[in-house]
Amino acid sequence: MGIGHGHHHHHHHDDHSQEGPADVAHLLDTSIADSDLSPADVSRRGVLRSAGIIGAGVATAGVLGAGSAAASGGDDRSADPAARSRNDDADYLWLAGDHHIHTQYSPDGQYRVIDHVRHGNAFGLGWMVITDHGSAQHAKIGVEKVNPDIRAAREVVNGTLVFQGLEWNIPAAEHGTVFVHPGDNEVAVLKEFENSFDGVVNNATASTPANEALALAGVNYLADAVTRKRVRDALFLANHPARKGLDSPHEIRGWRDAAPHIAVGFEGAPGHQAAGLPAPSGPGSGRGYYDNSPNASSFPGYPLESYRTFGGFDWMTATVGGLWDSLLAEGKPWWITANSDSHQVYGDTSVRGAGSDFNNNGFYNAPEHGGKPDLTLGDFWPGFYSRTHVGAREFDYAAVMSALRDGRVWVDHGGLIDTLDVRARVRGRGRGVTLGGVLTCKRGDRVQLTMVIDLAAGPNWAQFVPQLARVDVIQGDVTGPAGDRDAFKAPNTRVVKSFDIDQKGGSVHLTYELGAVDRPVYLRVRGTDGNRTGAGALGASIDPNGPQMDVLGSADPWKDLWFYGNPIWVLPS
Amino acid sequence: MDPRSGSGAPRVVRILGVDAGSGSLAEADHLLASVVSGLGLAGDPVAATHFVRAGAPHIALTIEVPAGAEVDPAAVGSVTGPAAGLVWGDLRQGPEDRVEGALAARAEHGRSGRLARFPGISTLTGTVTVREILERSPITEVSVLMGAAAAPDTEVATRDHVRPQWRDGAVVLVVQPVSDGKVAPFEVPNPTPCCAQH
Repeated sequence: MGIGHGHHHHHHHDDHSQEGPADVAHLLDTSIADSDLSPADVSRRGVLRSAGIIGAGVATAGVLGAGSAAASGGDDRSADPAARSRNDDADYLWLAGDHHIHTQYSPDGQYRVIDHVRHGNAFGLGWMVITDHGSAQHAKIGVEKVNPDIRAAREVVNGTLVFQGLEWNIPAAEHGTVFVHPGDNEVAVLKEFENSFDGVVNNATASTPANEALALAGVNYLADAVTRKRVRDALFLANHPARKGLDSPHEIRGWRDAAPHIAVGFEGAPGHQAAGLPAPSGPGSGRGYYDNSPNASSFPGYPLESYRTFGGFDWMTATVGGLWDSLLAEGKPWWITANSDSHQVYGDTSVRGAGSDFNNNGFYNAPEHGGKPDLTLGDFWPGFYSRTHVGAREFDYAAVMSALRDGRVWVDHGGLIDTLDVRARVRGRGRGVTLGGVLTCKRGDRVQLTMVIDLAAGPNWAQFVPQLARVDVIQGDVTGPAGDRDAFKAPNTRVVKSFDIDQKGGSVHLTYELGAVDRPVYLRVRGTDGNRTGAGALGASIDPNGPQMDVLGSADPWKDLWFYGNPIWVLPS
Repeated sequence: MDPRSGSGAPRVVRILGVDAGSGSLAEADHLLASVVSGLGLAGDPVAATHFVRAGAPHIALTIEVPAGAEVDPAAVGSVTGPAAGLVWGDLRQGPEDRVEGALAARAEHGRSGRLARFPGISTLTGTVTVREILERSPITEVSVLMGAAAAPDTEVATRDHVRPQWRDGAVVLVVQPVSDGKVAPFEVPNPTPCCAQH
């Protein structure tokens, strides 16, 4: 399968009001000939050509520029102004979720599936993914034994969708969530995937070209399982990507480009958010357990600060103009999430079951009462602190996966806000498009970004009402495929507008006027309680009030709260 | 200054290179301690770890041996095991790829890499000031992560684990803020373990 060809439309509902987000990058990828695109995509590529982002007839990726806009647009919809604004009038069901959760079937886990699902349900999650570590024991035992537990949880707990997945040891790289739509083959596909492509199971963790290729084969396997209808859907998201410097920029680009409809994003914020609480009343480690140093397998270009979190978020996401932005500036859809990575919960009084023999049994016995709170544990229950909100069209498994794939996703910590509705639109022309979407318009159209935020109406799970203090709008130019697959900077991306929020409670309405747009751009938003801000990782001129590096052994996650939205692209023709 | 010379007068040293395919910094440090101990050198020599990215990435070692001190390759080999590569002067011992790793490490000694042993390291325990670090060791600069050089009176909570790096000929210890207004070395002695754990 050629790069960028993998976008599958069969999960999308008939909806002509929004462009599929995964379309952008393959339109920009000039190594894909027009003849390999659908007529609709050829037309949309015409929009980009006339906007000057794609050189006409250029067969080599990366040769772009405003000077080569030779072809005419050929956009058959451009005669219709209403169509150009591509309004998204759907009403979404915003469901909080978590795609990174470990159980007693992980060698460092403890809880039953039902323990997690009951907590996640009580803490407000609409969907969860059980992701035990890939391992010899899991491939042989756990991947099968966890399934009836998951099916039982689906029956017992109402209002929370429970997916089966696994935490893939990505060959040559970090870990990642892989999960599938429930169905008859969910176990068979996951097991086959784990046996064939897990880095630990296959002794393929070393950062070698052969193992990097195995990772791509794994992504392609998932795409194939969907194509052949063995499972209805599958997704892969990279977890804690900067923790040890193992996920190089070219590997991330490689996974995405292999199957953009399967490899859709990474954790913007890792789990283990209690790990930075100071000892002795906390683990005293790094927030997210981000306390590592470069190793021989690390990408040598990453700076030392990339090994730490910033405001609880991974450096790849927290850095304005950094790695995430470098993907968005290419026009590559790539989404962020925030999850618990819950293994053992801070302050919990339970312990692993007595007489457990994980190595032989593949699981720990059910947890037991331990008699005292354990303050050395670094995790929260799913839904307790980290939430990934997806805009689903319906309350079902397929809709949650589609929302994740489409990037209708925002994330928050500590219940900082209740809802986020972000729209890019041509002024006076309807509702515009929301997170993950693409607004196509005419060059010179006046475009605005609107945000409606419901402030926290009540207390979070630490029993206080968080107060939003500032919202930032981040904007970058869309410049097409990067010549350097290991690039991790977007030099034209910066904070373009900040809003101080004084209001207590209720809804906040914010508008950022882009003015007359003359070039393709993308926008994303971020907000904070304002407790820990300062110059961003690339300097105050790019991000004057960005998240700060978390202090090892002294990071109270409840006193440093952020939300992040996924991007919207604006493409004038 | 010539980083190979320490802070004293220039002296002739030779560099022993060892590549046993160590997979982690902790593993490399452990092996390095065993090799240094086996050499029976007086005091702490400058000894370092180097990333080898050819093939499966791993870590090799270099150890400065003062002029006059003898190295018995067979004795070193008995510490490292037969699968390790060893380079000492013109001598090459062990499998070819490991010898290549040891050679690469030796070529980088003094330019890049991480000093796991150095004169004065045993005095850098508990909390010391930046000034004391600069006085007692070959470290030439204490630099705050994402910031400037640390002030001389800044207190450094060493965690008994000080591992500076060669950077452009300087020996730099990168630190980051911790609680109580102190800083601590960037490298944590016991980082959260990898692979099927978290």
